[in-house]
Amino acid sequence: MQRSKWIWLVWTVVLLCYLVPYTLLTNVQTWLGSFLFWTIAGLVIIALNLYITKDFEEHGND
Amino acid sequence: MTESMIWWSIAIYFFIAIGIAILSRQGKSESMSGYFLGNRQMNGFVSALSYSATTYSAFMMVGLAGLTYAGGVGALGFEIIYFAGVSLVAIFGPKFWAVGKKFNFVTPSEMLGHRYNSKHVAMAVSIASCIFLIPYAAVQLAGVGYLLQGTTNGAIPFTTGVMLATVIAIIFSYVAGIRSVMWTDSLQAIMMIIASTLVAFLVIQGLGGFTALFDTLASEHPQSLTVPGTGLFSFITFLGLTIPWFFFSLSNPQVSQRLFMPASLRSMRQMLIGFLVFGFIYTLVSVLWGFSALAAFPSLERADLATPTLLASDFVPPLLGVIVMIGIMAAAVSTIDSIMLTLSSMLARDVYANLKPDASEKRQLLAGKIVIPVIAIMALGFAELELDLIAVLSVAASSGLVAMVPAIIGAFYWKRGTAAGALVSVLGTGAFVLFVYAIGNSFLGLPAGVWGIIVSTTLFVGVSLATKPHKASTDLFLKAITEELGRKKHTPSASPDPHNATA
Repeated sequence: MQRSKWIWLVWTVVLLCYLVPYTLLTNVQTWLGSFLFWTIAGLVIIALNLYITKDFEEHGND
Repeated sequence: MTESMIWWSIAIYFFIAIGIAILSRQGKSESMSGYFLGNRQMNGFVSALSYSATTYSAFMMVGLAGLTYAGGVGALGFEIIYFAGVSLVAIFGPKFWAVGKKFNFVTPSEMLGHRYNSKHVAMAVSIASCIFLIPYAAVQLAGVGYLLQGTTNGAIPFTTGVMLATVIAIIFSYVAGIRSVMWTDSLQAIMMIIASTLVAFLVIQGLGGFTALFDTLASEHPQSLTVPGTGLFSFITFLGLTIPWFFFSLSNPQVSQRLFMPASLRSMRQMLIGFLVFGFIYTLVSVLWGFSALAAFPSLERADLATPTLLASDFVPPLLGVIVMIGIMAAAVSTIDSIMLTLSSMLARDVYANLKPDASEKRQLLAGKIVIPVIAIMALGFAELELDLIAVLSVAASSGLVAMVPAIIGAFYWKRGTAAGALVSVLGTGAFVLFVYAIGNSFLGLPAGVWGIIVSTTLFVGVSLATKPHKASTDLFLKAITEELGRKKHTPSASPDPHNATA
């Protein structure tokens, strides 16, 4: 399951969720700052999970 | 909203939910996996809604909105990191599912006991889970108490709300075990996602729209839009909150047990993706509630009152306010009943059955059913203590449960992991986390949430390296995963012929 390697991209997004708002965005006092950043991060996580679990569909039922 | 309107709504909700719970019954389930796992035949849609309802509790709508009110946008970051952590299901889910099926595991602690070939590991994990999850369930009960008290201006006192939620949770668990819990969860989840989104929409409209809301925040509470902002979300606090929650999907047995239940991996995928979509909407809605309360009612006595105040305000039509309030109560119930079921299955399977090895499935199930109300009463006791700020208390539970994480990851990825390593890591970390909380949640400048994962990993790795692993059980466990996950791929029926395996 090579797709599972993409999980590292999820962990990278998580790391950015710590780094970016606490460095680059500490002074951006509008919704275009941390609010938007974390919202987009959430959407990226959903997209990555869709991709990573695509192979689950191929695994047969009982 | 009037007191009688609230009582009527609770009654209507209760009768609809009981109806659904009864309909969810499928014959008499006399086996442990029938009662606690729905015979491993749960479909993806119900699993997704129930997983969401179990995870997102009163904490979300009361606690997260309160946390946003008090500390600003950092609350969103906290929740998004938790949410990203659920991606662990994409990696660990199929493995849990495969061994669950192969060895007929009912509880995650049973799985660990089997993998490390030690009853003591299973027992220690079960008991540690009880120690940390009962206060967590209590936090949910307290959420209901605050909510009903806040929205009725004290006409429904805290204690009445707490008692009510406890009784409903016991009833839902008893009707048909996990099946009735999952179906009532689904009702609650659908009702809540619609009603709460509507409330966010109406409130934001009432405040002049999305842009106006954020303009108000930018001019009157500019720090609420950044971290560390007002100071509540200092980087260290943020780490302490997020690290335990990141591992929630593995560390909390009431959700990791769900990985044994889907009928297929396809259902598991639906559960995961369904949860993520639901969770994303729910997170944004809760945070927007907190922001709206901050813009409209900036001087509340306590942050936990943000949601009740918003629901009782003129922005929300009374009927909708009541629906959401009932939904929040139902959310607390849906978390508590799952926790009660999981803990009782662990005590029956991993403590009772290990102490009495000749106990039949039927006896184990009976023991589990007896334990359910006992757990409920203990949670009720904690809730009555009325401790402060809901979100922070919930995290105390997660910090303690992080103790299991290295043993769980090691079970699948580290052959060198041993029973002694798992045991010392679970017990040692549990005790250490309690110690850090006892001295004010700061040890050498770091909170328990950060210490938990450091201490548990060090203990697990250190003690494992100093002891000998049980090779036979490790090999059997890992082989089962390869077989179960490899076997059926592209060959849904018949016996696989290696010579024709061209796919």
